[in-house]
Amino acid sequence: MSARIELSAVSKSYDGGARAVDAIDMTIEPGEFFSLLGPSGCGKTTTLRMIAGFETPTDGVIRVGGADITRVPAHKRDMGMVFQNYALFPHRTVRENVAFGLRMRGMARAAIARKVDEALAMVALTGFEDRRPGQLSGGQQQRVALARAIVIQPRVLLCDEPLGALDKKLRQSMQFELKQLQKTLGVTLVFVTHDQEEALAMSDRIAVLNGGKVEQVGTPVEIYDRPATRFVADFIGDTNLFRGEIVPAGAGVALKVSPELVLPLPAAPAASGLVSVALRPEKVRLAAGTDANAITPGTVESANFQGGHVLYRVALPGNRHLLVQSRNDGSGAPLPAGAPVSLSWAPADLVILKD
Amino acid sequence: MSRAVPNLMGLALLPSALFFALFFFLPIGLMAVMSFLTGNPVVMPNVVATTRHYERILEDPFYFEVMWTTVRIGLWTTAITLLLGYPLAHLMARVKSRSLHALLLMAVLMPMLTGIVVRTFAWMALLSDKGVVNQLLQGLGFAPMQLMYNEFGIVLGLVHIYLPFMILTLTGVIGRIDERLEQAAQNLGASPIRAFVEVTLPLSVPGILAGSLLVFALAISAYVTPILMGGFQIMTLPILIYQQISANFNIGFAAALGMVLLALSLVLVVAYNHILAALSGQRDLQ
Ligand SMILES: Nc1ncnc2c1ncn2[C@@H]1O[C@H](COP(=O)(O)OP(=O)(O)OP(=O)(O)O)[C@@H](O)[C@H]1O
Ligand SMILES: [Mg+2]
Repeated sequence: MSARIELSAVSKSYDGGARAVDAIDMTIEPGEFFSLLGPSGCGKTTTLRMIAGFETPTDGVIRVGGADITRVPAHKRDMGMVFQNYALFPHRTVRENVAFGLRMRGMARAAIARKVDEALAMVALTGFEDRRPGQLSGGQQQRVALARAIVIQPRVLLCDEPLGALDKKLRQSMQFELKQLQKTLGVTLVFVTHDQEEALAMSDRIAVLNGGKVEQVGTPVEIYDRPATRFVADFIGDTNLFRGEIVPAGAGVALKVSPELVLPLPAAPAASGLVSVALRPEKVRLAAGTDANAITPGTVESANFQGGHVLYRVALPGNRHLLVQSRNDGSGAPLPAGAPVSLSWAPADLVILKD
Repeated sequence: MSRAVPNLMGLALLPSALFFALFFFLPIGLMAVMSFLTGNPVVMPNVVATTRHYERILEDPFYFEVMWTTVRIGLWTTAITLLLGYPLAHLMARVKSRSLHALLLMAVLMPMLTGIVVRTFAWMALLSDKGVVNQLLQGLGFAPMQLMYNEFGIVLGLVHIYLPFMILTLTGVIGRIDERLEQAAQNLGASPIRAFVEVTLPLSVPGILAGSLLVFALAISAYVTPILMGGFQIMTLPILIYQQISANFNIGFAAALGMVLLALSLVLVVAYNHILAALSGQRDLQ
């Protein structure tokens, strides 16, 4: 029932303007929860609308289940879509909204009624059948939109920031429900969001977009732990970025950020000259006092207690700074500003980035 | 401070309230009174109340004929402006390019910059028995056609004049319908035409309603075009009323005819409203 989606060198430029989507390549596997993540204006919606058939690519080919659908009109694509603003038909009841796709497929009345009831039960909206969209809360409208899209049992489900308008609590419960539903149905789901936490929590794989280009495709763990580019490292979560020169150090190599700060590297990078590296704050171990075995000494500049952990800003030699997230292990108050600390991490946690 | 605001609003409404009272309710009230009097009380001292004007309208089938002609012309004009105007309004509301939109708007508004009389005379030059069209037909060996001095000519002239009203009213309403609704319908398997019929058309009913009422009201009360294009061959209520005042000096009868015209519009407005509201299932429309 679900299908593989392939985009090969797909580009889109709106009349005369710059490329909103620039030669995107990606393959979305059957039954996968696939997120398109990126900042505003990076081309997420445009990509989704090309898959749905509301925009025609300027270049490239889109295949679903192996068949070229680049020029197939939207109504023949058999894809469910949940629009960012839901796009529920305001003049129709909840029941009529959900029944719409089945009616277009010429299904018998009794079968439609049964399927609509099932779909509404699935999104916990039984009893709301005769309301109009205007008489529903945002979360309820969202679920109607979802029911309307899944009731046709599409090969592919497309969601454009479906949870964007919801408050945090509702958002979290809907994230969970959506994920469950996708698992149950086994449908290929393409999910657009600019919320990295949402993407990390829900996706099987994520494509990070920037300026119409794919920066990286990978599992949430890969994206978070092994960002490929400076943009991805910076966009996802808090991160420490260093830029420096590759220098030999003993048996291996190191990154010379400044004369006072030289960081050992796990392996020689492919690039030579100036490279960027990323280090997640929670990968750094921070200990009070000085330690000759530590990678670098530092001085606490500020400590931000956040309950489960403390976020330190530490001054490094050579006028650099490091964010360190230290688990609250119950050992008392955070270290005060000015306290000398020693910092260490596994060299492999230093991720070498493409610019 | 906050309590002063409603007062200020009330004050702002005062001029328009006065205007309406003076130029709308007062004349209609006077017309209603006159329609029940034997003559004009300003110039005739011994005027008495009567229902004879209305009796005359009811008794003579000629006046029914005139009423029906007026309504028929109004209905044709409304239907044709709607059929011609809707696709254009839809295009204007949906067109992406700003320059094309400006061009279309210009094309719609341009005719409104010339007076009704001028435009009607232009039609006459084209359509009269010895006009451009008939000369051309005869030149090509066809028989000449009666293109004006009949209802066809009047309806044509009225459609030309009132089409912009229909288009502008519809464009406003269609433009406010989210395009993504139609896309959602297509996504669910509706062909573009089906999506239009299922979504955009019912949602534009308020515009169809408003535009049609506007055009109908304007068409049944039109005077210049029916006279010029009809060449006095076709009698409509406004023409009849004018004749009663200017030629027959029968103000009471003219007032009664005016009341009939008013009642006719009101009845049709209410009926139309009910029909379309029931069709679209939007009870909250009324
Ligand atoms: N209809 C359009 N005409 C012209 N340019 C457009 C159109 N739609 C989008 N764009 C441009 O294309 C680029 C990508 O837009 P898109 O809507 O795909 O971004 P997005 O990633 O969905 O952003 P957001 O998170 O804000 O929704 C933007 O620069 C936008 O200005
Ligand atoms: Mg978007």
